[in-house]
Amino acid sequence: MRVIVAGVGYRNLRDHSVGVTVADRLLDHAWCGDVAVEDLSYNPIAVMQRLEDEPPERRFTRAVMVGAVERGNRPPGAVTVYRWDGVLPSDEEIQRAVSEAVTGVIALDNTLVVTRHFGGMPDEVVVIEVEPGVQEFGDDFSEPVAKVVDQVCELAVTLATDAGAAAQLPRAPLGGALPAAAGRGLG
Amino acid sequence: MCFKNLPIEFDAQGKPFLRAGVADPYGPSSAAPRGAPAQLTAERIEDLLKRNGYIKDLDFDPITRVAGALAFHTVADFRGRKVLEARSMATLFRGYEVIMVGRDPRDAIFITSRACGVCGGVHSVTSAMAIEMAIGCVPPPLGILIRNIALALEFLYDHPLHLHLLAGPDYSAAMVGPTNPSLLERARSAEAPHAEIHGFRTIGELMEDLNPLSGKLYLEALHMTRVAREAYVLICGKYPHPQTIVPGGMSSTVTLTVMNEMFTRLAQFFDYSKKLVAIWDDLTEFFYEANPAYKQVGARRANLIDSGIFDHHEAYDATYASATAWGERRWATPGVIMDGQLVTTDLHALNIGVEEFVEHSYYEEWSGSGQRQHFPTDPVGNPLSPYHPWNKVTKPRPQGQNWKEKYTWDTAPRWDRQAMEAGAYARLWNTAVARKLPANPFIEATGTSLKLRLPKGALPELELEWKVPAVWNAFERNRARAYCTGFTALVALNNWLAAMDRLKLGDTRTSAPFEIPKRGEQRGVGFWGAGRGYLTHHLTLDRGAVANYQILTPSTWNASPSDRWRQPGPYEEAVLNTPLLEETDDPAKFKGIDILRAIRSFDPCMPCTTHIHSDAGVITREVNTCACGIDDEGG
Repeated sequence: MRVIVAGVGYRNLRDHSVGVTVADRLLDHAWCGDVAVEDLSYNPIAVMQRLEDEPPERRFTRAVMVGAVERGNRPPGAVTVYRWDGVLPSDEEIQRAVSEAVTGVIALDNTLVVTRHFGGMPDEVVVIEVEPGVQEFGDDFSEPVAKVVDQVCELAVTLATDAGAAAQLPRAPLGGALPAAAGRGLG
Repeated sequence: MCFKNLPIEFDAQGKPFLRAGVADPYGPSSAAPRGAPAQLTAERIEDLLKRNGYIKDLDFDPITRVAGALAFHTVADFRGRKVLEARSMATLFRGYEVIMVGRDPRDAIFITSRACGVCGGVHSVTSAMAIEMAIGCVPPPLGILIRNIALALEFLYDHPLHLHLLAGPDYSAAMVGPTNPSLLERARSAEAPHAEIHGFRTIGELMEDLNPLSGKLYLEALHMTRVAREAYVLICGKYPHPQTIVPGGMSSTVTLTVMNEMFTRLAQFFDYSKKLVAIWDDLTEFFYEANPAYKQVGARRANLIDSGIFDHHEAYDATYASATAWGERRWATPGVIMDGQLVTTDLHALNIGVEEFVEHSYYEEWSGSGQRQHFPTDPVGNPLSPYHPWNKVTKPRPQGQNWKEKYTWDTAPRWDRQAMEAGAYARLWNTAVARKLPANPFIEATGTSLKLRLPKGALPELELEWKVPAVWNAFERNRARAYCTGFTALVALNNWLAAMDRLKLGDTRTSAPFEIPKRGEQRGVGFWGAGRGYLTHHLTLDRGAVANYQILTPSTWNASPSDRWRQPGPYEEAVLNTPLLEETDDPAKFKGIDILRAIRSFDPCMPCTTHIHSDAGVITREVNTCACGIDDEGG
């Protein structure tokens, strides 16, 4: 079992930087298993190519993906956790994701869709989404998001190292169905 | 005399000066553009919409995701099959200029890099060049050469990506079939003239492999983006947003081994360029032959601007005073093409002719009403407009959208008060016509064309010739971009050879020391380029901190709104001239493919995931445009 814990987002974009911050913090964590921590905040095509670069015997078997995603149907700071069901959207939507991917957009959904379509992403993907409250330049979080960052780090550690905890999560499409219904809610 | 609208003349020594006796030389009426097209008034459009059922709104409505978007509003006449109104809208403000004020200038290299995720290193370098000029710091020859190679590698990433991942699908069987079935039928039996190079027997086969997600050309381009990126990372450490760009050069350590590893990737683009050119030559000629009206898709006046790129390592001294000299020794000559004619290659003339207007943008005016113009001249005494970037003050003012007034976060940059287009093709055109290219064995500028001698790979050595086109439209933009891939690879080859010579001599220095002055006021400008063309950063320092920072990107030019003279921006003008050639009379089935081809031919880089709306509902798919045009206020 080899796990990657990855942050996806933008630096210096306040709440939208939560994935990057979590990855930064977990870099120093004393992991008890074979866990890699990376900031995958770049072109998802390149992310796919990076994941494919792992030799077959070293391929990741589970990914814990962390990022801010603005769904608009939950309060700022809400955390949604789920196992992605891996169902891809239509080809037209995938092409749109590729267009965005190669033109510099960094978004957790795009990264998941592109890496699943072209290969590279492990079968088991756990997603931790945080609803952002603000989108503006800056290196601090809004209050609701700042409150949950420690919890998100702990959650990522648990889900990376405890296969049982990950297996208990609901399987859901991107976005985790509705907040706190199919997904596991925090904050 | 390169200015026809601004009251700027030149003395016997070629020094520009303001014409005497003009009371308000930069006023709207004393220098109004002559002969430029104008949008219909909003009142006229409203009247046409009310009186004619076959005239309809077509809105490209953005779904803004994380990073920014551009939307497009048109009014189309379905009976006349033409566009009556076109409005380009940048829908987000992120204000890099505002962020930069008061900071240490070195921060600018890393912060402004984020203006675009595709042009991952160009903003860093442009910023470093602006700082170099302001503080007086010159990179060593190897630093200049490596910077050139890195830029070329960015373009080798960008051009295939645009051609086959973004624009290519518009010419694929998957798109041509539903929009123009008879054209696809014709393509299936049309032999491809360059089959021996690209391997496709018919145009129909070629169109099949342009299909998104599954086409061989699509997947091959995906792979080539990796090759270019790997090469870039070898010399710059990281892509995008390299941490190795510094004022005075590069902080990377470059060895013969690194250069050789990089070259194995670069060399793959020699054959790939031959293939790209063969594909886009065949596609373009097929469409022209099938229906000459395609020559009008995306057509506009050939008004092009480019700040020039790829400095000669023995010429660049980072001073504004010598910019004319070092600019004209660049591997891609700076210049302005007006109505198809080269009017200047002088970076001073290019710089002083630039102005930005905000009549239709969500900003307040910063000039007029007795406000003091900070810099009446450039650093060598040439006259500057109050609307010039060095005089500009960014004053964002969000408000509701109104076609008669303000409707975009992009500004309206103009040169000599004309709407100019930026792109890879401006680079080719200036260089071909100016004939100032450094002596070299691979690229020849003839005055009307560029000859490109691409070395042997799996394909034999081949000489390609890009000729200045007779018409300027969406197809020629894409065709030129394919040729520009070969041009870029050969510029990289020339610079690689020169860099190897330096390394063999033991000259491994890639950067020069520098200090940020803590006193006084300094100015600088980085004249550089993105894959899609013109890029400048204008910088003013005051006691060691940034007092003003202005970015002008290619998409700021291309996506610009109409100006105070109702002169449309380039996207707008290109769409206004585009005939609707789709094979449907039903607006509800209309996909807007010709409009999309027109816009996408500019190599817009940031997704504006838009859907075309008609009264019948949401119909079609996305357009892409560039964050660059948005980030700095536009852009």
